[in-house]
Amino acid sequence: MTTAVAAKSNLKILVVDDEAIVRESLGGWFREDGHSVDTAEDARQALHRLAANRYDIALVDIKMPGMDGLELQARMAAASPDLTIIIMTAYATVESAVRALKAGAYDYVTKPFDPDELSHLIHRAAEHRSLKAENIRLKENIEVITTPSPIIGSSPAIRRVMDLVGTVSATDATVLITGESGTGKELVARAIHAGSARRYNPLVVVNCGALAEGILESELFGHEQGAFTGARYRRKGKFEAADGGTIFLDEVGDVSPRVQVDLLRVLEEKTVTRLGGNTPIPVDFRVVAATNRDLHGMVRSGEFREELYWRLNVFVIDIPPLRARREDIPLLAEHFLARFSQAMNRKDMRLSPEALEALQAYAWPGNVRELQNAVERAVVVGSPPLIEVKDLPVRVTGHPAGPGPSSLAECERTHIESVLSSTGWNISQGARVLGVDRVTLYNKIRKYDLKKPADVA
Amino acid sequence: MLPSGLPARAPAREPVRVESIQLVKIGPFPEGLAEDLAARLSRRVPAPCQVRASPLDVEVPWLPDRQEQVDADALLRRLEAEPVDDGAILVGVTSLDLAVPIFTFVFGRARHDGRAALVSLARLRPEFYGLPADAALTARRTVAEILHELGHVGGLRHCDDGSCLLRFAASVETVDLRGSSVCSACEAMLPAGLRRGGPG
Repeated sequence: MTTAVAAKSNLKILVVDDEAIVRESLGGWFREDGHSVDTAEDARQALHRLAANRYDIALVDIKMPGMDGLELQARMAAASPDLTIIIMTAYATVESAVRALKAGAYDYVTKPFDPDELSHLIHRAAEHRSLKAENIRLKENIEVITTPSPIIGSSPAIRRVMDLVGTVSATDATVLITGESGTGKELVARAIHAGSARRYNPLVVVNCGALAEGILESELFGHEQGAFTGARYRRKGKFEAADGGTIFLDEVGDVSPRVQVDLLRVLEEKTVTRLGGNTPIPVDFRVVAATNRDLHGMVRSGEFREELYWRLNVFVIDIPPLRARREDIPLLAEHFLARFSQAMNRKDMRLSPEALEALQAYAWPGNVRELQNAVERAVVVGSPPLIEVKDLPVRVTGHPAGPGPSSLAECERTHIESVLSSTGWNISQGARVLGVDRVTLYNKIRKYDLKKPADVA
Repeated sequence: MLPSGLPARAPAREPVRVESIQLVKIGPFPEGLAEDLAARLSRRVPAPCQVRASPLDVEVPWLPDRQEQVDADALLRRLEAEPVDDGAILVGVTSLDLAVPIFTFVFGRARHDGRAALVSLARLRPEFYGLPADAALTARRTVAEILHELGHVGGLRHCDDGSCLLRFAASVETVDLRGSSVCSACEAMLPAGLRRGGPG
């Protein structure tokens, strides 16, 4: 016979019909095209097969003795929500078709089947299933992407931060995150966004402290073509990019007075006017701002606009410095150790009791970020399976090994040499530990005429 | 065709012997077309093709409740009951519209590893779709359809290759779009009498 299903994928199909000719013909037709087919002559047999097997598509006759197709459809959908159900009718009646579709059937088809129509229907159903599966996969991926690194800690101080994040996330309130450098303000901002209804929309991060005034304006608000020298194209700003999502204004205390005025207007009016443009563009965003500066003090000294301060200071989350929650240091250290040892394929590494003690004793002026860097370095330079005190940065242990070099250049040379030696002259790893890029490290190697020892592969 | 229990694309356990192909007309059939089809088939397969002098003498099994459509399965069964020489395959050709109870139409019908195939001109003619008659196009399509069904007789299933003659076709557009010969994978599985390079 010349008729079979065009869909290439190998589907598992269940044909439910009390007429043997239908079961045999459809079964043969689908098998012909490489699909796996089971048949059932009544509802009881169909449910029995469904309990024992997984099917992609079920073709169900609407009229059968005992339980009819519509009731069976409901039972099948409950038992296997992923199943694509197609109802077969001897004569299409509007009511039965509507009832079937309302009850969740993918489609219905009238007997006798037009081979072309049935072929397209199965093909479309296969595509539909594939799109549904892809949609689920993508959603899961988005969940993974949008789920920020967890906030680690069990101290009362950090638990309070977590509680505040949980409270404010679901609202659309503006949040001001305060805390010293390296305490994890961006992590908290990401957690707020991830817990909000805006999580499938962008979280746009702007580091206000890193950009010069003119560039920051253009970055935030965008510009029209020809707005200034070099503006060759129209460009959307970060506020527009955050439409529907959240904009995270990091280091908001570093924004210049002029940009503060523009920022205030955007926050109040929820519209953006691009540089060189005249048309206000409505934008839907939530603001999360962060600073390590004393904004209130800056208001008093006239460095920060009071209206902007009050606009941002709606819900404040203050992140304690690491020294104020020392009990979290072991947890954090273990978390970073697990992450880096896995990333660097140095599994089963652990901290010696002395190393852990040294970590807990240190003041951590650079907070969690400094701890993270110290653990990363230790994973690189340590000899598995144990990280010892000697693997920690000197500033942490307070015990420089041996007499130190005299000049700054000598100090740099010695340190680079030591790191390269510990990484087996792996330039990428060495650059990461030193916190520089590979080009810089190569330049330093050339500058200090450092040579890879012959015994290093 | 009805399920044969064969794994997908598997050749028959015992390859079907195809030593000759006999076209047999069923019902009214255009004058000279069967001979033209036999000549065209002879250029495509090593097995010799002939037209049986006498048409199939059976009562046409009409499908109940259908507008002049013939039950293809019943007709194939009657064709298979015809006495034939060992190694000969009977190919019934008809102008009647073929269908089966569950499908509104079929272009052809054959059983895996069977001894006969059935092909209808009805929906291969451009006139069926309101287009001008084109005898050459109808003959080309019919030969392709016969070869497709002979592939099933040879034990082959439908092929995923879009250019293979064994590709499934539920519309005449697909009949035209698919290639006029089988792909190399299907070719290798065909019985010798149907293989281009095989012995006749």
